[in-house]
Amino acid sequence: MSKFSFLSGKIGKLFLAPFGDDNPITVKVLGICSALAVTVKIKPAFVMALSVTVVTAFSNLIISLLRNGIPSRIRIIVQLVVVALMVIIVDQFLKAFVYDVSKQLSVFVGLIITNCIIMGRLEAFALANKPFPSFIDGLGNGFGYGLILIVVAFFRELLGSGTIWGYSIIPASLYAKNNGFYVNNGLMILPPTALIIIGLIIWWQRSRRKNLIDIS
Amino acid sequence: MHSNRYIFIYSVVMVVVVAITLSIVVLILKPFQEANIRTEKIQNILTSINIQSNKKESQDMYKKYIKEELLIKNDGTYRQGSAFDVKLKDELKKDISKREMPLFIAETDDGKRHYIVPLWGRGLWGAIWGYISFNDDLNTVFGALFDHKSETPGLGAEISTRAFQEQFINKKIFDDNGNFVSVHVIKGGAPKGDIHGVDAISGGTITSNGVNMMLKENVGFYVNYFKTLKNTNNHE
Amino acid sequence: MEENLNIFIKSIFIDNMVFAYFLGMCSYLAVSKTVKTSTGLGIAVVFVLSITVPINYLAEKYLLAPGALSWLGDSFKEVDLSYLSFIIFIAIIASMVQLVEMFIEKVSPPLYSSLGIFLPLIAVNCAILGGALFMQEREYATIWEATSFGLGSGIGWMLAIVAIAAIREKLQYSHIPPALRGLGISFIITGLMGIAFMSFLGIKL
Repeated sequence: MSKFSFLSGKIGKLFLAPFGDDNPITVKVLGICSALAVTVKIKPAFVMALSVTVVTAFSNLIISLLRNGIPSRIRIIVQLVVVALMVIIVDQFLKAFVYDVSKQLSVFVGLIITNCIIMGRLEAFALANKPFPSFIDGLGNGFGYGLILIVVAFFRELLGSGTIWGYSIIPASLYAKNNGFYVNNGLMILPPTALIIIGLIIWWQRSRRKNLIDIS
Repeated sequence: MHSNRYIFIYSVVMVVVVAITLSIVVLILKPFQEANIRTEKIQNILTSINIQSNKKESQDMYKKYIKEELLIKNDGTYRQGSAFDVKLKDELKKDISKREMPLFIAETDDGKRHYIVPLWGRGLWGAIWGYISFNDDLNTVFGALFDHKSETPGLGAEISTRAFQEQFINKKIFDDNGNFVSVHVIKGGAPKGDIHGVDAISGGTITSNGVNMMLKENVGFYVNYFKTLKNTNNHE
Repeated sequence: MEENLNIFIKSIFIDNMVFAYFLGMCSYLAVSKTVKTSTGLGIAVVFVLSITVPINYLAEKYLLAPGALSWLGDSFKEVDLSYLSFIIFIAIIASMVQLVEMFIEKVSPPLYSSLGIFLPLIAVNCAILGGALFMQEREYATIWEATSFGLGSGIGWMLAIVAIAAIREKLQYSHIPPALRGLGISFIITGLMGIAFMSFLGIKL
């Protein structure tokens, strides 16, 4: 444990919990919308995960710094403005430096604003905690979200397009059009499969962790 | 509880701070974004005459290969002008007689001239666009490129793959009698030897129809110009 | 008129907010335990979407789009404020939701008590912001088209949440592996419903 002194203790727990028992997508059911639309290929999923992490971490930090001054009556609006500001900055950076990915993400960058993970963490954590823990909490939740995104994208890209990060994995000679037997599963490319894959991940996670099982 | 006055001042300060931050960010990043859009357009135009270029060299390649930029009217008349800066989307909204559509003339290494027509249309979910180039007989397709905003991945989105685009090469847009027929994307596959048809993408019917419409409308606009040009070429 | 009807039907069935774009999933999964509450939230979404989409349309047309400020005079022709669209849209949505909430509270207390609790949830529902962003991307020609789109999308969303709630009520009596119960099975069913809705895709109106 001593090797990872950063990961033990309170701060470490804040950072690590979202990867497992506190995962924003599979346990808290937050931020589903974008998880589905951008997971056809790994690359956009990765960029999306990174963008969400940046936005969550920094808006958590800013709101936490401002937490004593925010008038409670306009709290939600202030939060939305801070989040929207961060998202616009991220969007502008994407357009300037990874133009081809930003084209694939299209409206879903804007939809980060209403990604419930961000508002959820602001309300539940940043408003009541000091800046540094808030920042770490944001990072952890962003990465926990990104983890699921990339797992889903991995399966969808591998089975749907036969590639990983754009590189072909299935040898071309196996394909039916080259007289082989293999055909990519077109269903994997369609958005509903993302839901089914997440459903299966939840099933897997809950059968290992009995305490997460829904009683109802 | 905070007073109304505090809330008001708070909001005003917030708006000002946000506005200033955003303006600075946008101001700094704008040149990069515009350069990206420009580079992509250049690369697309070059791809339509079958020249692949990377980001760095594309500027120079464009200067090397693109010899002329023209603005064409529907009646076949034309003038010199910066075709590159024409926004096709805005031009297509105008009345057909008022349009001035861009045309690029390229000269490849073998000294042959090619005519590049830009395209703009609608697919299933949003805009589709592209460039198609013709040999100097103004009939045979030399190369084509298509791209899209948000077609279904794996189905309609396949129009942006080279495999689909390369089918267009050597197809013809005029029939034997010299009538304009365009090139069609045919569902279920084009018959062998069809000089006007290419295979459609299975599952991408509406996108394929969009491509057909786009080719017919955009290339159709240039027919008068092509005919005049052909006549002058023949007389020479 | 025909075009409006076209957009209206299309946004209910073919471009369904939930099944085609998976927007508003958070509240869709969290609130869909009973048909009654789902209907309440559904109505609130219809209401807010059909108000905010046209207002955002006006904002887009006269404020944000490149050249939109030309009504102020020729010197404003080149101004492009489109980078502000996210923040303007979300501000309009948040303030409209607040206004609607206050209005309903004043005018009809019974409606407020059944609908009121859902309204704050809606400001952060991605379906609402998604509506505004899709409206911007698709460039509707008139405000009526934008309104038809907003209303249709809202009804489509409501249809989806009421349908899943009805299925989940029945699921109570099904024998499902414990680990899959609740959330897991809801995801999978939504996926299957999405595949079913894809059969509307090829329809051209």
